[in-house]
Amino acid sequence: MIASFRRLAPLSLLVLLAVLAVACAKEKRPAATPLSPDATGTLTVLDWAGYEDTSMFVTFHRAYPKVTVSVAFGESDADIFGKMKAGTDACVFHPYSGWQHFYVRDGLVAELDTTRLSHWSEIPARFKALGQVDGKQYFIPWDWGYTSILYRTDKIPGGVDSWTALFDPKYKGHISMWDDGPGAVAIATYVKNWDETKLSDAQLAEIERMWTSQRPLNRFYWTGEPELVQGMASGEIWLAYAWQGAYNTLLGQHVPVAYAQPKEGRNSWVGLYGISSKCQTPDLAYGFLDEKLTAAQGVSLISSFAYGHVNPAAYQGVTDSNIVRALSLNDPTVLERTKFTPLVTEADRDHFGQLWARVKAAQ
Amino acid sequence: MPRQSRGRLWALIAAPSLWLVLFLVLPLLLLAAYSFRAGVGGALFRDWTPTLEQYRILFATPAFLRLLVMSAGIALVVAVLATLLAYPVAYYLVFRIRERAGVYIVLLMIPFWISYLLRVMAWKVILGEGGAVNSLLLSLGLIHEPISALFYSRLAVIVTLVYVWTPFVALPIIATLYRIDRALLEAASSLGATPRQRFWRVTLPLSLPGVIAGAVMVFIPTVGEYVTPSLVGGSSGAMYGNIIFDFFGRSANWPLGAALAVVMLLLTLALVGATSRISRVERFIG
Repeated sequence: MIASFRRLAPLSLLVLLAVLAVACAKEKRPAATPLSPDATGTLTVLDWAGYEDTSMFVTFHRAYPKVTVSVAFGESDADIFGKMKAGTDACVFHPYSGWQHFYVRDGLVAELDTTRLSHWSEIPARFKALGQVDGKQYFIPWDWGYTSILYRTDKIPGGVDSWTALFDPKYKGHISMWDDGPGAVAIATYVKNWDETKLSDAQLAEIERMWTSQRPLNRFYWTGEPELVQGMASGEIWLAYAWQGAYNTLLGQHVPVAYAQPKEGRNSWVGLYGISSKCQTPDLAYGFLDEKLTAAQGVSLISSFAYGHVNPAAYQGVTDSNIVRALSLNDPTVLERTKFTPLVTEADRDHFGQLWARVKAAQ
Repeated sequence: MPRQSRGRLWALIAAPSLWLVLFLVLPLLLLAAYSFRAGVGGALFRDWTPTLEQYRILFATPAFLRLLVMSAGIALVVAVLATLLAYPVAYYLVFRIRERAGVYIVLLMIPFWISYLLRVMAWKVILGEGGAVNSLLLSLGLIHEPISALFYSRLAVIVTLVYVWTPFVALPIIATLYRIDRALLEAASSLGATPRQRFWRVTLPLSLPGVIAGAVMVFIPTVGEYVTPSLVGGSSGAMYGNIIFDFFGRSANWPLGAALAVVMLLLTLALVGATSRISRVERFIG
């Protein structure tokens, strides 16, 4: 088998080079002309379920009504990475912070020409930096949000102010952690005040011990937000690792919940859009990315989904008080107290994944 | 075999064989090849030297091996329970309902008209904290707090899987029971066998191939099951399949996931091989 692949290798290399040559030839087009309103064609976007909703690209849709946006789905960052690697016709794809350098390493993402993005100057530098690898801009940042502890105020009237609550035997059988290794490692490092990018073997062993002994307290590891929302609404779950989307949904259902401000800090994540290095329609892709950055698109994203947007001009357009609370848009200092998911090496990511698998496999 | 009919035979088996090679053998070989990679990085088929690192990690992690044994144990329990439940159903349909059994077989299959997800989630309504069982026990005053261990536990995984598989196991048993020559049963009776003796000495041994086929049919997919435990197993109900899924779908560590899958496949093949050998011996004795 492997031998026959070896024989095929020169051929596939040639095909790859030809594709790259075509792609490069297109990218070298000199003038960064803005996309014409009459532009036609189909743009394929590899995205998460929910992001196919037109409100996720409403201004692009209005500006270029003749362009069809076709959304292909990935169900996790690992899945999106796998699909990009295996080959897809998607021009634009949507990974989250912590994964960008893998795309650069494997040559799956094209470096961005930010002069082609007319709204680029509206984005704060702190967000821009999250789309860079080795000083080069490969991604635009787009949606962002928090991770914190969501809790039922009727079940825990005293409130929660620390990540240690997830490990508190008082709440046995009523805790729900997200089913994710890197997420679990991050929380443990906040509790221990360790640097999650420089963990020793002894520290990793301690983190594994923490989560293994937490497991009997945990009701279930949630994988999708609806599962968590249902558990909290029914009163089975009192506190959980959660994103602000779940908080907003539960507030909308009049469930008595609060979103903690842990003394160790909240965690935060940022969604990024990149253009595939094999993209055949970079004009459409740049037009799509540029419209993603507008304040009007930001208002649509925030109002419909309670996700943050990278264009601060959008925040003034948000009137829903639940969302303002969920995103802490009324607290100008909250982003400073938030820890963004750092880049982890592949070795670290594998270690975290294995650690979490051992926690789940422990008898 | 005349040349012409041999040609026809080849023509007939060409399509299914091609299908099997393309969609079973090749993917399995790819999976096996992946298990010898060091990492997921780099080109898919170039730039890599085979390594046993993933197998080293797997065999150096007792938790994974214990979970594999545990999953095989769960699959065995589920296969045995589902078969024990299915046998009386099959027996009743074949020997009591007889001609109209077809209608009842359709009734048996009706649950499969409903999505698997819905059927599994129905158990949440039955076993959950606010579910039917807990509500009944609470209202009868037998318990004062809902029993949380009914759901999100290994027990819930086993109950759900037995429920899902029982109708499946009934089918091969029904098929073998139908094939039993009634003259043999009459002969047993006229030679003085009691109904009980007739069942234990004639019916059961003759239906064993169907029983074993049904049990194996349940056992094989259940060892690698991951949907049911992820829905009803909770934090402590994970099976080996969940770990494989996590390595593929969540941590992009395909090589280790592939190594775990290969080991599971080999264990399952070995167990099924052993079973089929035993079943042949059984048939000989029977």
